[in-house]
Amino acid sequence: MKLGVSLYSYQQSQFFRELTLEDQIREVGEHLPYADGIEIVDEMSLRYPDPGEDFVSRWFMWMERYGTVPVTMDVSFDVLQFRDHVMSYDEVTERLERDLRLAKRLGFSNVRVLSTCPIEVLIAALPLAEELDLRLGKEVHQPMRLEGRQVGEIVEYVERSGTHHLGIVPDFGIFGFRPSEVLLAQYERRGASREASAASVELSAMLQAGTAPFALDDVSNQTAGNLRVAWKNFVSRGGCEAGLAKPFAALKAFAESRVIEPTEIDYVVVAEAIMQSNTSLETMRELAKHVISCHGKFNNMSPVPNSPGEFHDLAIDTAGAIAALREGGFEGYVNTEYEGQRYSQDRTRAEMMDEVEQVRRHQAMLRRLIGVTADAGAQ
Amino acid sequence: MFDNYLIRADSLRNEVVDGTVVGFKMAVRIANYRGVFLSLHTGYFLEVDGVTYPREAQSFEINGKPPRTFEEIKSAVWEHWDFDDEAILHVACPGGLAPGEHTVRFQQCVIAAYGYLPTDKVWVETPPELGTGAGSDKTPNVVSYVLTLDEKQDV
Repeated sequence: MKLGVSLYSYQQSQFFRELTLEDQIREVGEHLPYADGIEIVDEMSLRYPDPGEDFVSRWFMWMERYGTVPVTMDVSFDVLQFRDHVMSYDEVTERLERDLRLAKRLGFSNVRVLSTCPIEVLIAALPLAEELDLRLGKEVHQPMRLEGRQVGEIVEYVERSGTHHLGIVPDFGIFGFRPSEVLLAQYERRGASREASAASVELSAMLQAGTAPFALDDVSNQTAGNLRVAWKNFVSRGGCEAGLAKPFAALKAFAESRVIEPTEIDYVVVAEAIMQSNTSLETMRELAKHVISCHGKFNNMSPVPNSPGEFHDLAIDTAGAIAALREGGFEGYVNTEYEGQRYSQDRTRAEMMDEVEQVRRHQAMLRRLIGVTADAGAQ
Repeated sequence: MFDNYLIRADSLRNEVVDGTVVGFKMAVRIANYRGVFLSLHTGYFLEVDGVTYPREAQSFEINGKPPRTFEEIKSAVWEHWDFDDEAILHVACPGGLAPGEHTVRFQQCVIAAYGYLPTDKVWVETPPELGTGAGSDKTPNVVSYVLTLDEKQDV
Protein backbone atom coordinates (compact mmCIF):
# COMPACT_ATOMS: atom_id res chain seq x y z
CA MET A 1 0.00 0.00 0.00
CA LYS A 2 1.19 3.52 -0.76
CA LEU A 3 0.61 6.74 1.15
CA GLY A 4 -0.26 10.25 0.11
CA VAL A 5 -2.18 13.34 1.18
CA SER A 6 -5.19 15.06 -0.24
CA LEU A 7 -4.34 18.75 -0.11
CA TYR A 8 -7.99 19.22 0.93
CA SER A 9 -6.41 18.60 4.35
CA TYR A 10 -4.75 22.03 4.16
CA GLN A 11 -7.84 24.02 3.12
CA GLN A 12 -7.73 26.25 6.20
CA SER A 13 -4.02 27.02 5.80
CA GLN A 14 -4.71 27.94 2.20
CA PHE A 15 -7.71 30.09 3.13
CA PHE A 16 -5.59 32.06 5.61
CA ARG A 17 -2.70 32.21 3.10
CA GLU A 18 -0.41 30.43 5.54
CA LEU A 19 0.56 27.69 3.08
CA THR A 20 0.79 28.10 -0.68
CA LEU A 21 0.19 25.15 -2.96
CA GLU A 22 3.95 24.69 -3.22
CA ASP A 23 4.25 24.76 0.60
CA GLN A 24 1.62 22.01 0.81
CA ILE A 25 3.41 19.83 -1.73
CA ARG A 26 6.75 20.44 0.03
CA GLU A 27 5.18 19.37 3.36
CA VAL A 28 4.14 16.04 1.82
CA GLY A 29 7.43 15.47 0.03
CA GLU A 30 9.83 16.56 2.75
CA HIS A 31 8.10 16.07 6.09
CA LEU A 32 5.99 12.94 5.70
CA PRO A 33 8.22 9.87 5.56
CA TYR A 34 7.16 7.26 2.97
CA ALA A 35 4.32 9.45 1.58
CA ASP A 36 4.68 10.68 -1.98
CA GLY A 37 1.10 10.81 -3.29
CA ILE A 38 -0.66 14.09 -4.05
CA GLU A 39 -4.41 14.40 -4.35
CA ILE A 40 -6.15 17.72 -5.01
CA VAL A 41 -9.63 19.18 -5.33
CA ASP A 42 -9.37 20.97 -8.66
CA GLU A 43 -11.50 23.95 -7.68
CA MET A 44 -9.55 24.42 -4.45
CA SER A 45 -5.95 24.11 -5.59
CA LEU A 46 -6.07 25.43 -9.15
CA ARG A 47 -6.98 28.49 -11.13
CA TYR A 48 -10.01 26.80 -12.62
CA PRO A 49 -10.91 25.69 -15.25
CA ASP A 50 -7.60 26.55 -16.94
CA PRO A 51 -4.60 26.99 -14.65
CA GLY A 52 -2.42 28.07 -17.61
CA GLU A 53 0.71 26.64 -19.17
CA ASP A 54 3.12 28.40 -16.80
CA PHE A 55 1.38 26.76 -13.88
CA VAL A 56 1.54 23.34 -15.50
CA SER A 57 5.33 23.69 -15.87
CA ARG A 58 5.68 24.80 -12.24
CA TRP A 59 3.49 21.88 -11.12
CA PHE A 60 5.76 19.29 -12.73
CA MET A 61 8.83 21.09 -11.42
CA TRP A 62 7.41 20.83 -7.86
CA MET A 63 6.68 17.12 -8.34
CA GLU A 64 10.28 16.55 -9.34
CA ARG A 65 11.78 18.82 -6.70
CA TYR A 66 9.82 17.31 -3.79
CA GLY A 67 9.71 13.72 -5.04
CA THR A 68 5.91 13.62 -5.20
CA VAL A 69 3.45 11.99 -7.60
CA PRO A 70 0.04 13.28 -8.78
CA VAL A 71 -2.35 10.45 -7.83
CA THR A 72 -6.00 11.50 -7.80
CA MET A 73 -7.81 14.69 -8.80
CA ASP A 74 -11.19 15.28 -7.15
CA VAL A 75 -13.84 16.94 -9.31
CA SER A 76 -17.33 18.27 -8.67
CA PHE A 77 -20.31 19.21 -10.75
CA ASP A 78 -22.75 21.99 -9.98
CA VAL A 79 -25.94 21.36 -11.91
CA LEU A 80 -27.18 24.96 -11.69
CA GLN A 81 -24.08 26.44 -13.36
CA PHE A 82 -26.09 27.70 -16.35
CA ARG A 83 -28.80 29.11 -14.08
CA ASP A 84 -31.53 28.98 -16.75
CA HIS A 85 -31.89 25.18 -16.59
CA VAL A 86 -30.74 22.18 -14.59
CA MET A 87 -27.76 20.54 -16.31
CA SER A 88 -28.62 17.40 -18.26
CA TYR A 89 -26.58 14.21 -17.93
CA ASP A 90 -24.93 15.15 -21.25
CA GLU A 91 -23.83 18.48 -19.82
CA VAL A 92 -22.53 16.85 -16.63
CA THR A 93 -20.61 14.43 -18.84
CA GLU A 94 -19.10 17.32 -20.81
CA ARG A 95 -17.91 18.91 -17.59
CA LEU A 96 -16.40 15.61 -16.44
CA GLU A 97 -14.66 15.21 -19.80
CA ARG A 98 -13.09 18.67 -19.48
CA ASP A 99 -11.93 17.74 -15.96
CA LEU A 100 -10.46 14.48 -17.30
CA ARG A 101 -8.38 16.45 -19.80
CA LEU A 102 -7.23 18.79 -17.04
CA ALA A 103 -6.27 15.84 -14.82
CA LYS A 104 -4.26 14.32 -17.67
CA ARG A 105 -2.52 17.61 -18.32
CA LEU A 106 -1.35 17.62 -14.68
CA GLY A 107 -0.20 14.02 -14.77
CA PHE A 108 -2.82 12.47 -12.50
CA SER A 109 -3.65 8.75 -12.77
CA ASN A 110 -7.15 8.89 -11.29
CA VAL A 111 -10.17 11.16 -11.16
CA ARG A 112 -12.55 10.96 -8.22
CA VAL A 113 -16.16 11.92 -8.88
CA LEU A 114 -18.73 12.75 -6.21
CA SER A 115 -20.82 9.99 -4.67
CA THR A 116 -23.85 11.63 -6.28
CA CYS A 117 -22.52 11.32 -9.85
CA PRO A 118 -25.02 9.24 -11.87
CA ILE A 119 -23.69 5.96 -13.28
CA GLU A 120 -24.95 7.06 -16.72
CA VAL A 121 -22.47 9.96 -16.61
CA LEU A 122 -19.59 7.69 -15.60
CA ILE A 123 -20.36 5.27 -18.41
CA ALA A 124 -20.64 8.13 -20.91
CA ALA A 125 -17.26 9.56 -19.90
CA LEU A 126 -15.55 6.17 -19.73
CA PRO A 127 -14.36 6.03 -23.38
CA LEU A 128 -12.39 9.27 -22.86
CA ALA A 129 -11.04 8.01 -19.53
CA GLU A 130 -9.84 4.85 -21.27
CA GLU A 131 -8.31 6.83 -24.13
CA LEU A 132 -6.43 9.05 -21.63
CA ASP A 133 -5.66 6.06 -19.40
CA LEU A 134 -7.29 7.71 -16.38
CA ARG A 135 -9.22 5.68 -13.85
CA LEU A 136 -12.58 7.05 -12.71
CA GLY A 137 -13.49 6.43 -9.09
CA LYS A 138 -16.83 7.16 -7.49
CA GLU A 139 -16.48 8.32 -3.93
CA VAL A 140 -18.22 6.23 -1.29
CA HIS A 141 -18.81 8.72 1.49
CA GLN A 142 -20.75 8.35 4.73
CA PRO A 143 -23.63 7.78 5.20
CA MET A 144 -23.42 5.79 1.93
CA ARG A 145 -22.39 2.19 2.36
CA LEU A 146 -20.34 -0.27 0.35
CA GLU A 147 -23.42 -2.47 0.26
CA GLY A 148 -26.32 -1.38 -1.89
CA ARG A 149 -27.12 -0.06 -5.33
CA GLN A 150 -24.66 2.83 -5.62
CA VAL A 151 -21.58 0.63 -5.37
CA GLY A 152 -23.29 -2.46 -6.76
CA GLU A 153 -24.08 -0.83 -10.10
CA ILE A 154 -20.42 0.11 -10.58
CA VAL A 155 -19.11 -3.35 -9.71
CA GLU A 156 -21.69 -4.90 -12.00
CA TYR A 157 -20.73 -2.62 -14.91
CA VAL A 158 -17.01 -3.27 -14.38
CA GLU A 159 -17.52 -7.03 -14.31
CA ARG A 160 -19.78 -6.98 -17.38
CA SER A 161 -17.61 -4.66 -19.49
CA GLY A 162 -14.18 -5.72 -18.26
CA THR A 163 -13.05 -2.09 -18.05
CA HIS A 164 -9.98 -1.30 -15.94
CA HIS A 165 -10.84 2.38 -15.74
CA LEU A 166 -13.81 2.49 -13.36
CA GLY A 167 -14.10 1.77 -9.66
CA ILE A 168 -14.66 3.28 -6.23
CA VAL A 169 -12.88 5.68 -3.87
CA PRO A 170 -13.86 4.67 -0.33
CA ASP A 171 -13.76 7.53 2.15
CA PHE A 172 -12.79 6.14 5.54
CA GLY A 173 -15.60 8.17 7.10
CA ILE A 174 -17.75 5.16 6.14
CA PHE A 175 -15.90 3.29 8.88
CA GLY A 176 -16.91 5.90 11.45
CA PHE A 177 -18.88 4.40 14.32
CA ARG A 178 -19.84 7.51 16.28
CA PRO A 179 -19.92 11.29 15.72
CA SER A 180 -16.51 12.86 16.15
CA GLU A 181 -15.85 14.48 19.52
CA VAL A 182 -14.83 17.72 17.78
CA LEU A 183 -18.13 17.88 15.88
CA LEU A 184 -20.08 17.38 19.13
CA ALA A 185 -17.97 20.00 20.90
CA GLN A 186 -18.79 22.53 18.19
CA TYR A 187 -22.51 21.81 18.50
CA GLU A 188 -22.26 22.30 22.26
CA ARG A 189 -20.59 25.69 21.76
CA ARG A 190 -23.56 26.56 19.58
CA GLY A 191 -25.99 25.70 22.35
CA ALA A 192 -26.64 21.95 22.08
CA SER A 193 -27.00 20.07 25.34
CA ARG A 194 -24.57 17.45 26.62
CA GLU A 195 -27.51 15.05 26.82
CA ALA A 196 -27.96 15.39 23.06
CA SER A 197 -24.29 14.52 22.47
CA ALA A 198 -24.57 11.51 24.78
CA ALA A 199 -27.76 10.40 23.01
CA SER A 200 -26.03 10.66 19.65
CA VAL A 201 -23.12 8.48 20.81
CA GLU A 202 -25.54 6.01 22.43
CA LEU A 203 -27.72 5.74 19.31
CA SER A 204 -24.63 5.27 17.11
CA ALA A 205 -23.64 2.27 19.21
CA MET A 206 -27.18 0.87 18.98
CA LEU A 207 -27.25 1.26 15.19
CA GLN A 208 -23.87 -0.46 14.97
CA ALA A 209 -25.00 -3.33 17.19
CA GLY A 210 -28.33 -3.67 15.39
CA THR A 211 -30.31 -2.82 18.52
CA ALA A 212 -31.66 0.59 17.45
CA PRO A 213 -35.44 1.09 17.53
CA PHE A 214 -35.58 1.70 13.75
CA ALA A 215 -33.99 0.73 10.43
CA LEU A 216 -32.19 3.31 8.31
CA ASP A 217 -34.25 2.63 5.14
CA ASP A 218 -33.30 5.26 2.53
CA VAL A 219 -31.02 7.20 4.86
CA SER A 220 -27.80 5.70 3.50
CA ASN A 221 -28.69 6.65 -0.10
CA GLN A 222 -28.40 10.35 0.71
CA THR A 223 -25.42 12.64 1.15
CA ALA A 224 -24.87 13.80 4.72
CA GLY A 225 -25.45 17.44 3.73
CA ASN A 226 -28.75 16.72 2.00
CA LEU A 227 -29.83 14.52 4.89
CA ARG A 228 -29.16 17.30 7.40
CA VAL A 229 -31.33 19.69 5.36
CA ALA A 230 -34.14 17.11 5.10
CA TRP A 231 -33.98 16.39 8.84
CA LYS A 232 -34.10 20.08 9.77
CA ASN A 233 -37.18 20.50 7.59
CA PHE A 234 -38.77 17.45 9.18
CA VAL A 235 -38.17 18.73 12.71
CA SER A 236 -39.28 22.30 12.04
CA ARG A 237 -42.12 21.80 9.57
CA GLY A 238 -42.86 18.06 9.52
CA GLY A 239 -42.87 16.11 6.27
CA CYS A 240 -40.12 14.51 4.20
CA GLU A 241 -39.75 12.12 1.29
CA ALA A 242 -41.39 8.72 1.77
CA GLY A 243 -38.24 6.62 2.37
CA LEU A 244 -37.16 8.86 5.25
CA ALA A 245 -40.49 9.10 7.05
CA LYS A 246 -40.19 6.03 9.29
CA PRO A 247 -36.58 6.50 10.42
CA PHE A 248 -37.12 10.23 10.94
CA ALA A 249 -40.23 9.69 13.10
CA ALA A 250 -38.44 7.06 15.22
CA LEU A 251 -35.34 9.23 15.49
CA LYS A 252 -37.43 12.15 16.71
CA ALA A 253 -39.04 9.93 19.33
CA PHE A 254 -35.60 8.69 20.42
CA ALA A 255 -34.30 12.25 20.80
CA GLU A 256 -37.33 13.17 22.89
CA SER A 257 -36.78 10.14 25.11
CA ARG A 258 -33.23 11.22 25.94
CA VAL A 259 -33.32 15.02 25.95
CA ILE A 260 -35.88 17.03 27.91
CA GLU A 261 -37.60 19.53 25.60
CA PRO A 262 -34.98 19.28 22.85
CA THR A 263 -34.17 22.43 20.93
CA GLU A 264 -33.65 22.40 17.15
CA ILE A 265 -29.89 22.00 17.58
CA ASP A 266 -30.39 19.09 20.02
CA TYR A 267 -32.38 17.28 17.31
CA VAL A 268 -29.59 18.00 14.84
CA VAL A 269 -27.00 16.53 17.22
CA VAL A 270 -28.93 13.32 17.91
CA ALA A 271 -29.39 12.88 14.14
CA GLU A 272 -25.61 12.74 13.67
CA ALA A 273 -25.98 9.09 14.71
CA ILE A 274 -27.74 8.25 11.43
CA MET A 275 -24.86 9.76 9.41
CA GLN A 276 -22.77 6.67 10.25
CA SER A 277 -22.63 4.17 7.41
CA ASN A 278 -22.31 0.96 9.46
CA THR A 279 -20.74 -0.67 6.45
CA SER A 280 -18.88 -3.96 6.76
CA LEU A 281 -15.13 -4.54 6.69
CA GLU A 282 -15.78 -7.88 5.03
CA THR A 283 -17.41 -6.04 2.10
CA MET A 284 -14.35 -3.76 1.93
CA ARG A 285 -12.10 -6.81 1.67
CA GLU A 286 -14.24 -8.28 -1.11
CA LEU A 287 -14.34 -5.00 -3.03
CA ALA A 288 -10.63 -4.17 -2.65
CA LYS A 289 -9.95 -5.00 -6.32
CA HIS A 290 -12.38 -2.25 -7.35
CA VAL A 291 -10.69 0.44 -5.28
CA ILE A 292 -9.02 3.23 -7.29
CA SER A 293 -7.57 5.07 -4.28
CA CYS A 294 -8.78 5.88 -0.76
CA HIS A 295 -9.59 8.96 1.22
CA GLY A 296 -8.00 8.43 4.61
CA LYS A 297 -10.64 10.62 6.23
CA PHE A 298 -10.24 11.76 9.83
CA ASN A 299 -11.57 14.54 12.04
CA ASN A 300 -9.28 14.64 15.05
CA MET A 301 -6.10 12.83 16.03
CA SER A 302 -6.07 12.42 19.80
CA PRO A 303 -3.58 10.52 22.00
CA VAL A 304 -4.05 6.74 22.19
CA PRO A 305 -4.59 5.97 25.90
CA ASN A 306 -1.51 4.35 27.47
CA SER A 307 0.56 4.63 24.27
CA PRO A 308 2.70 7.75 24.60
CA GLY A 309 3.38 9.46 21.29
CA GLU A 310 0.71 7.51 19.38
CA PHE A 311 -2.44 9.11 18.03
CA HIS A 312 -5.73 7.92 16.55
CA ASP A 313 -9.14 9.15 15.47
CA LEU A 314 -11.35 7.68 18.18
CA ALA A 315 -14.48 7.72 15.98
CA ILE A 316 -13.19 5.98 12.83
CA ASP A 317 -11.97 2.39 12.47
CA THR A 318 -8.95 3.15 10.31
CA ALA A 319 -7.13 0.01 11.51
CA GLY A 320 -10.00 -2.18 10.37
CA ALA A 321 -10.17 -0.45 6.98
CA ILE A 322 -6.43 -0.83 6.33
CA ALA A 323 -6.47 -4.50 7.36
CA ALA A 324 -9.45 -5.23 5.09
CA LEU A 325 -7.82 -3.48 2.13
CA ARG A 326 -4.55 -5.31 2.67
CA GLU A 327 -6.28 -8.71 2.93
CA GLY A 328 -8.18 -7.86 -0.26
CA GLY A 329 -4.90 -7.21 -2.08
CA PHE A 330 -5.16 -3.43 -2.47
CA GLU A 331 -1.80 -1.92 -3.46
CA GLY A 332 -2.80 1.63 -4.37
CA TYR A 333 -2.76 4.90 -2.46
CA VAL A 334 -4.40 5.80 0.82
CA ASN A 335 -4.44 9.59 0.88
CA THR A 336 -4.93 11.37 4.19
CA GLU A 337 -8.01 13.59 4.10
CA TYR A 338 -8.33 15.81 7.17
CA GLU A 339 -11.78 17.35 7.56
CA GLY A 340 -12.10 18.19 11.28
CA GLN A 341 -10.60 21.66 10.97
CA ARG A 342 -14.08 22.98 10.10
CA TYR A 343 -15.32 22.04 13.57
CA SER A 344 -13.13 24.72 15.14
CA GLN A 345 -13.83 27.38 12.54
CA ASP A 346 -16.50 29.06 14.63
CA ARG A 347 -13.59 30.18 16.82
CA THR A 348 -10.70 32.60 16.35
CA ARG A 349 -7.75 31.61 14.18
CA ALA A 350 -5.60 31.10 17.29
CA GLU A 351 -8.07 28.50 18.60
CA MET A 352 -8.37 26.61 15.33
CA MET A 353 -6.64 23.31 14.65
CA ASP A 354 -3.14 22.94 13.25
CA GLU A 355 -3.64 21.08 9.98
CA VAL A 356 0.04 20.34 9.47
CA GLU A 357 0.37 18.67 12.88
CA GLN A 358 -2.92 16.76 12.50
CA VAL A 359 -1.86 15.36 9.12
CA ARG A 360 1.59 14.40 10.46
CA ARG A 361 -0.10 12.44 13.28
CA HIS A 362 -2.45 10.71 10.83
CA GLN A 363 0.43 9.74 8.58
CA ALA A 364 2.33 8.34 11.56
CA MET A 365 -0.73 6.21 12.34
CA LEU A 366 -1.01 5.03 8.73
CA ARG A 367 2.67 4.05 8.66
CA ARG A 368 2.11 2.10 11.87
CA LEU A 369 -0.92 0.35 10.40
CA ILE A 370 0.63 -0.60 7.08
CA GLY A 371 3.90 -1.58 8.75
CA VAL A 372 6.47 0.85 7.42
CA THR A 373 8.99 2.73 9.50
CA ALA A 374 9.62 6.47 9.51
CA ASP A 375 12.90 5.93 7.70
CA ALA A 376 10.65 4.66 4.95
CA GLY A 377 11.56 1.05 4.18
CA ALA A 378 8.70 -1.45 4.09
CA GLN A 379 9.20 -4.08 6.78
CA MET B 1 -16.76 27.44 7.56
CA PHE B 2 -14.29 30.19 8.43
CA ASP B 3 -17.25 31.89 10.12
CA ASN B 4 -15.49 34.90 11.61
CA TYR B 5 -13.26 35.46 8.59
CA LEU B 6 -15.70 35.58 5.67
CA ILE B 7 -15.57 39.38 5.90
CA ARG B 8 -12.08 40.84 6.29
CA ALA B 9 -12.19 42.59 9.68
CA ASP B 10 -10.56 45.85 8.55
CA SER B 11 -12.39 46.16 5.22
CA LEU B 12 -15.62 48.03 6.01
CA ARG B 13 -15.56 51.38 4.15
CA ASN B 14 -18.01 53.95 2.87
CA GLU B 15 -18.07 54.24 -0.89
CA VAL B 16 -17.65 57.69 -2.39
CA VAL B 17 -18.45 58.48 -6.03
CA ASP B 18 -17.72 62.00 -7.29
CA GLY B 19 -17.60 63.33 -3.74
CA THR B 20 -20.93 61.74 -2.71
CA VAL B 21 -21.21 58.81 -0.31
CA VAL B 22 -23.33 56.31 -2.23
CA GLY B 23 -23.02 53.29 0.02
CA PHE B 24 -20.54 51.01 1.75
CA LYS B 25 -18.37 48.04 0.88
CA MET B 26 -16.43 45.17 2.42
CA ALA B 27 -14.01 42.44 1.36
CA VAL B 28 -15.39 38.88 1.40
CA ARG B 29 -14.20 35.31 0.85
CA ILE B 30 -15.99 32.20 -0.29
CA ALA B 31 -17.60 30.15 2.50
CA ASN B 32 -16.49 26.79 1.18
CA TYR B 33 -13.32 24.74 0.69
CA ARG B 34 -13.35 25.34 -3.05
CA GLY B 35 -14.14 27.94 -5.67
CA VAL B 36 -17.23 27.82 -7.88
CA PHE B 37 -18.46 29.04 -11.22
CA LEU B 38 -19.41 32.63 -10.49
CA SER B 39 -22.96 32.25 -11.81
CA LEU B 40 -23.79 30.07 -8.79
CA HIS B 41 -23.32 32.97 -6.41
CA THR B 42 -26.73 34.56 -5.78
CA GLY B 43 -25.99 37.21 -3.13
CA TYR B 44 -25.95 37.89 0.59
CA PHE B 45 -28.21 38.07 3.54
CA LEU B 46 -26.87 41.33 4.94
CA GLU B 47 -28.12 43.23 7.93
CA VAL B 48 -26.25 46.21 9.37
CA ASP B 49 -27.42 47.59 12.73
CA GLY B 50 -30.82 45.99 12.17
CA VAL B 51 -31.33 47.26 8.60
CA THR B 52 -31.53 44.61 5.87
CA TYR B 53 -29.92 45.33 2.50
CA PRO B 54 -31.54 43.14 -0.16
CA ARG B 55 -29.88 41.50 -3.15
CA GLU B 56 -31.00 44.39 -5.37
CA ALA B 57 -28.88 46.80 -3.29
CA GLN B 58 -25.77 44.63 -3.69
CA SER B 59 -23.13 44.42 -6.39
CA PHE B 60 -20.10 42.19 -6.54
CA GLU B 61 -16.56 42.93 -7.70
CA ILE B 62 -14.29 40.01 -8.64
CA ASN B 63 -11.75 38.96 -11.26
CA GLY B 64 -10.59 42.50 -12.00
CA LYS B 65 -13.94 43.56 -13.43
CA PRO B 66 -16.15 46.47 -12.32
CA PRO B 67 -18.88 45.68 -9.77
CA ARG B 68 -21.76 43.67 -11.23
CA THR B 69 -25.31 43.20 -9.96
CA PHE B 70 -26.32 39.67 -9.05
CA GLU B 71 -28.59 39.68 -12.10
CA GLU B 72 -25.43 40.20 -14.19
CA ILE B 73 -23.44 37.67 -12.14
CA LYS B 74 -26.09 35.11 -13.06
CA SER B 75 -24.84 35.09 -16.64
CA ALA B 76 -21.15 34.63 -15.68
CA VAL B 77 -21.54 30.90 -16.35
CA TRP B 78 -17.95 30.29 -17.55
CA GLU B 79 -16.21 32.61 -15.11
CA HIS B 80 -14.87 31.12 -11.88
CA TRP B 81 -14.56 32.59 -8.41
CA ASP B 82 -11.36 30.89 -7.29
CA PHE B 83 -10.95 29.76 -3.66
CA ASP B 84 -7.96 32.03 -3.03
CA ASP B 85 -9.56 35.26 -4.18
CA GLU B 86 -11.03 38.05 -2.13
CA ALA B 87 -14.03 39.88 -3.65
CA ILE B 88 -15.59 43.23 -2.81
CA LEU B 89 -19.26 43.41 -1.88
CA HIS B 90 -20.69 46.86 -2.67
CA VAL B 91 -23.94 47.97 -1.03
CA ALA B 92 -26.05 50.90 -2.20
CA CYS B 93 -26.94 53.09 0.81
CA PRO B 94 -27.03 56.84 0.17
CA GLY B 95 -25.05 58.62 2.89
CA GLY B 96 -23.29 55.40 3.85
CA LEU B 97 -22.63 54.27 7.42
CA ALA B 98 -21.79 56.44 10.40
CA PRO B 99 -18.23 56.35 11.78
CA GLY B 100 -17.56 53.79 14.51
CA GLU B 101 -18.68 50.23 15.19
CA HIS B 102 -21.41 48.37 13.32
CA THR B 103 -23.06 45.02 13.85
CA VAL B 104 -23.15 43.11 10.60
CA ARG B 105 -25.17 39.91 10.24
CA PHE B 106 -24.08 38.00 7.18
CA GLN B 107 -24.70 34.90 5.12
CA GLN B 108 -23.48 34.09 1.63
CA CYS B 109 -25.68 32.15 -0.79
CA VAL B 110 -23.92 29.99 -3.38
CA ILE B 111 -26.09 27.34 -5.01
CA ALA B 112 -23.26 24.86 -5.41
CA ALA B 113 -24.12 21.35 -4.31
CA TYR B 114 -23.13 17.72 -4.23
CA GLY B 115 -24.92 16.79 -7.43
CA TYR B 116 -28.64 16.95 -8.11
CA LEU B 117 -30.98 18.19 -5.39
CA PRO B 118 -34.79 18.15 -5.06
CA THR B 119 -34.69 21.99 -5.05
CA ASP B 120 -32.88 22.31 -8.43
CA LYS B 121 -35.90 23.20 -10.58
CA VAL B 122 -37.30 25.65 -8.03
CA TRP B 123 -33.92 27.39 -7.74
CA VAL B 124 -33.72 27.82 -11.53
CA GLU B 125 -36.92 29.86 -11.29
CA THR B 126 -36.08 31.64 -8.02
CA PRO B 127 -32.85 31.32 -6.03
CA PRO B 128 -33.35 30.54 -2.33
CA GLU B 129 -34.41 33.25 0.06
CA LEU B 130 -31.30 34.87 1.52
CA GLY B 131 -30.53 34.16 5.16
CA THR B 132 -32.44 30.90 5.38
CA GLY B 133 -29.31 28.76 5.13
CA ALA B 134 -30.47 27.26 1.82
CA GLY B 135 -27.54 27.41 -0.56
CA SER B 136 -25.19 27.96 2.37
CA ASP B 137 -24.53 24.40 3.43
CA LYS B 138 -20.96 24.91 4.61
CA THR B 139 -21.98 27.87 6.82
CA PRO B 140 -25.67 27.26 7.54
CA ASN B 141 -25.84 29.81 10.36
CA VAL B 142 -26.01 33.60 9.92
CA VAL B 143 -22.74 34.99 11.32
CA SER B 144 -22.54 38.22 13.34
CA TYR B 145 -19.58 40.57 13.07
CA VAL B 146 -18.78 43.77 14.90
CA LEU B 147 -16.82 45.88 12.43
CA THR B 148 -15.42 49.35 12.68
CA LEU B 149 -15.93 51.63 9.70
CA ASP B 150 -12.55 52.60 8.33
CA GLU B 151 -12.50 56.13 6.97
CA LYS B 152 -9.97 55.30 4.28
CA GLN B 153 -11.27 54.77 0.76
CA ASP B 154 -9.29 51.83 -0.58
CA VAL B 155 -10.37 48.41 0.55
